[in-house]
Amino acid sequence: MSMLKITDLSYRYQSRQQFTLHRINLELEPGGMLLLAGRSGCGKSTLIKAISGLLSEQGGGELHGHIYLQGEEITRESPEKIGILVGTVYQSPDDQLFAMNVADEVGFALENQGLAPDFIQQQVRETLALVGLAGMEGYGIHQLSGGQRQRLALASILITKPKLLILDEPVSQMNPQGVQQFMQLLLRLNQQEQLGILMIEHRVNELAGYFQRLAVMQEGRIVYDGPMEEAWSPVEDVALSGLREPQNVKLCRLLGLSRLSFQEQVVEELVRRECQLKPQTKAFHLQTSTRQEVLVEAKDLVYTYPGAAAPTLRGLSFSLYAGQITALMGFNGAGKSTLLDLLGGLNKLQQGQIFLGGKPLHDCLGQVGYLRQEPDLMLLADTVLEEIAWKNKSLSRSEAESLLQRLNLQEYAEDFPLGLSKGQRLRLVLGAMLAKRPRLILLDEPTTGQDEASLTEIKNLLLDFQKQGGSVFICTHDVELAAEISSRVLLLQQGRFIADGPTRQVLGQKELLQRGGLVVPSLVRVCEALGLPPCITAEEVGHYVSASVMGGC
Amino acid sequence: MSVRQLWEGADSAPWIQQLDGRTKLLTLFLFAVLSITIDNPRSLFLLFTVSLILHGLAGTTIHKWRVLAVLLLLGLWGSMVSQALFYAQNPRTPLLLLISPEVSFFGPLTGGLYIYQEGILYGAIQGMRSVTMLSLGLLVCWSSDPRQLLQALMSWHLSPQVAFMLVTAIRFLPVLAAETGEVITALQLRSDSQQGRTAILRHLPYIIKPLLARCLRRSQTLALSVVSRGFFLANGKGRAMLWRGREKFFCYSLIMVITIVVSSKLVYLLSEQGLYFGALRQIYDWTKMYL
Repeated sequence: MSMLKITDLSYRYQSRQQFTLHRINLELEPGGMLLLAGRSGCGKSTLIKAISGLLSEQGGGELHGHIYLQGEEITRESPEKIGILVGTVYQSPDDQLFAMNVADEVGFALENQGLAPDFIQQQVRETLALVGLAGMEGYGIHQLSGGQRQRLALASILITKPKLLILDEPVSQMNPQGVQQFMQLLLRLNQQEQLGILMIEHRVNELAGYFQRLAVMQEGRIVYDGPMEEAWSPVEDVALSGLREPQNVKLCRLLGLSRLSFQEQVVEELVRRECQLKPQTKAFHLQTSTRQEVLVEAKDLVYTYPGAAAPTLRGLSFSLYAGQITALMGFNGAGKSTLLDLLGGLNKLQQGQIFLGGKPLHDCLGQVGYLRQEPDLMLLADTVLEEIAWKNKSLSRSEAESLLQRLNLQEYAEDFPLGLSKGQRLRLVLGAMLAKRPRLILLDEPTTGQDEASLTEIKNLLLDFQKQGGSVFICTHDVELAAEISSRVLLLQQGRFIADGPTRQVLGQKELLQRGGLVVPSLVRVCEALGLPPCITAEEVGHYVSASVMGGC
Repeated sequence: MSVRQLWEGADSAPWIQQLDGRTKLLTLFLFAVLSITIDNPRSLFLLFTVSLILHGLAGTTIHKWRVLAVLLLLGLWGSMVSQALFYAQNPRTPLLLLISPEVSFFGPLTGGLYIYQEGILYGAIQGMRSVTMLSLGLLVCWSSDPRQLLQALMSWHLSPQVAFMLVTAIRFLPVLAAETGEVITALQLRSDSQQGRTAILRHLPYIIKPLLARCLRRSQTLALSVVSRGFFLANGKGRAMLWRGREKFFCYSLIMVITIVVSSKLVYLLSEQGLYFGALRQIYDWTKMYL
């Protein structure tokens, strides 16, 4: 018997003409793991709501079809009843945690069931041990790190011993090592507890190795449901599906290999069999701007937070150049955001100097655009057009409209900015920043929770800005993004740079990446196995490898 | 200490954290009744002092004392100044003339602007009432788990939905405080001038919209999260918690004391209206002196 079975499920919100879900059919075996992907707005969250019992017809929507949980129909059951069997973990743990300390949070669901305090205490202890938070019962929620809070959110669900766990983009705000640890935990739970897992996530590139099965949604329909390894050929329009393809699959496409695979060994074998290796070829060089005009010059920056025992930044000196995209990478807490705050003028310099175009930074802060992690908090106007022109008297209406066109937001000009999709909101804030014609743009983790299509649009905007002579300083954990758009990487560790050099050089060094808290790109490992110089993009590998003679993709 | 931690209740003394939500809410309510009933400035001051002593006993941190001091002073000062200027009852004694009635335009418009002695006193009494409640309210917020208050409200048979809405406000207080700081930073970054990049006050009018939007999103997720954990189960049988005898005794005693205080005040007010009983004379005297 299936753990979850959905047959011909369709749903239309009361306020919409079109159905958001169209005849969805999906099945999950007991103890199965399924990754559900698709671009923003394709209906993934609506499907989760349907399974959780949150789409009743009382809300005025139109619901057809059936959902079965362990053979029992739950289509119109109450969320409370379904909640005992199906646990849901959301994107941001801060939004779903209710209590002030760990034990209270985990015990909340059992308290609601009226169980005895002693029993609850024992269950809390066991569940915390299960998620790796043993002994932390008395901790306040604010004492936990982001990853620990996500584990706590998981524990608060697991305590009811659900049969199915639904996770809605749970790792979108984690760094690569945090993702690895969280996924290892889920795998363990899946194997030990026979827990069914349905995860929604855009970062298919990072998660492909953990799931056997992938389902892809597009405009309310399941367009692919099958083994992860076979997903890449049927899903042809990658941008439309919203998938972030693994780099290995991109390489297979580029080389025209007979099969598309994300597995390193398979790709290595395919390349050896179908292509000719040219390791002695002259080293690959990206075509980069020849302009090397120093835009920002920072000297001996030291910054200590009030009350902190040690400085967060310890004597940083560096330059940023016009027409260059520089990536700032490193562990959480390495000092990346502190450095961006100094460059953005949000923190006062304690020691050292920063110059922009030869002048002290403080005198030309208007030339710096800074996009922080929460772009929603920067949306202030009533319409998209107003947002672009907010506090920007130098921008004419025609310029604003032309900018909206570049942002691909022209059809939303009169819409309420906070009503847009996540990717659109991010682009809008970026656009408002570009409208002020800055010389330097600072970005703090801009790819968090973005699907592939949105990511591509953001990358294009940044590359356009770079071509026009602007300088971009981007703080990210996303090695692929850094590899694709930046020409230089600064790697920060405990307030000091441990590397500063061309992207390919820095990201191609495995030991350095591990020291900096980053995950080694699988392409680097594939290249190592093939005896090629370390490459970080598929195009680079293509430089050393002839295209497939067999073809097929 | 981060802005967020400043509004969280995890660092107060264990004795107050462990108090039942019912004890806290009932005490808060009874103090509110008391501060409305009492008109005597000295007694009100005593009540206010009690609230501060409770903060001391609860181990309110120095950072929180600072916030408390600013809020209390603003509340008290604001009430006194506004009443000093606009006190309308008689008799009233002008202490200071700010705008003479003879001054062109503003004089005839305002009829003269004075600082009234009785207004200052009246403002102080009103202010004392509000700051006492503000102080106690913050004490409850800073020492309570939202879950604790929720259980208290539910055990009094308040509908789970209403109880949840009431308590969510407290749950989001720390998050809201942290996000207010974030929005101000965002506004600084989007400012059109050099000064705006470091200013705070000029950005305050714009913070509501992004904050509200975030709150709506957050509260929706929180509601979904508690629903799926069975919070709105119809019977709610699990919430029948034990209310410790000591706490119950304290609350009943407080109810009794306040009933006596309110009754004294009532009979005193009735006596002023002519319904006078000689046997209650001592109560009238006591009420006049202390209440």
